[in-house]
Amino acid sequence: MKARLVLALALAVSGTAIPAHAHHSFAAEFDINQPVRLMGKVTRIEWSNPHTYFYIDVTDASGKITNWAIEGPSPGALSRRAWQKGDLKVGDTVVVEGYRAKNGTNTANGRRVTLPDGRKLYGGSPGDGGPGDDGTDQGNLPATGTNK
Amino acid sequence: MPFLQHFCDVLYQSNFGTMLRESNNAFSVIESVHVLSITLLVGTIAVLDLRMLGLILRSVSVSRLARSVLPLSWSGFAVSVASGFLLFWAEAAKMYINPSFRAKLVLLVLAGFNALVFHTTIYRRAQEWGTLQVCPMRARVNAIASLTLWSGVIIAGRAIAYF
Repeated sequence: MKARLVLALALAVSGTAIPAHAHHSFAAEFDINQPVRLMGKVTRIEWSNPHTYFYIDVTDASGKITNWAIEGPSPGALSRRAWQKGDLKVGDTVVVEGYRAKNGTNTANGRRVTLPDGRKLYGGSPGDGGPGDDGTDQGNLPATGTNK
Repeated sequence: MPFLQHFCDVLYQSNFGTMLRESNNAFSVIESVHVLSITLLVGTIAVLDLRMLGLILRSVSVSRLARSVLPLSWSGFAVSVASGFLLFWAEAAKMYINPSFRAKLVLLVLAGFNALVFHTTIYRRAQEWGTLQVCPMRARVNAIASLTLWSGVIIAGRAIAYF
């Protein structure tokens, strides 16, 4: 009886610590059923832990401009795939292929980002459970039909 | 701009805060230190709480157990506050508006108040009841409050990343 209670308590306490290995998973914030492809001009960059962000102005067919926030992994994770601070600058035009946030805001997880120098870089977090999270340089985007 | 928000902005814009925020490795190392120190802090507190509830180490008196674990709790507390402040420094302007961070601070204050009540009232007379296998009601209530509040602090802290 006592042992059982202790076990139950131990499980209850340990349960609170389980998500500690990942900052947050792909599925916690982004919707795999809402792939997006955006082309726009960079307006702001946050080279920041635990997630980087950059913001782009996207102009639609009617000429309306919408500012999108593109979330990426930590500066360390990007540096390891040769994407350094300064590779992207305000005013650059980039292409972002990724997935929209579940909360409906103009936020997307940039799974593959085409930089101004033509490099296509994986902009997700390896192992976050999102599409193509094997961390390959190109990024693998099965749901958008754009993988090579 | 409210004073606290201004303070958070100054920290966020500072060279040191920016260096931590933009670092390749420092931020994640500090995160690990923060988690390890929390395990020391909350782990040792939980041992004392479980003893007061009569679930473990019934043959050891509460005073004796407290004397051996509390220095570890304080060490864990010191390191977790220091590492936590560095993490806050790196992201201060974002933390100011993060609802989960605010909840964590409130829970921390409540957990601290609960510990204060324990040390200034209940624990003062531990010589009288500390050898009982199951401790008096107010010690047990304090132990359950402590386990609940510290769990809440950890849950809210973990949830900061999701807002």
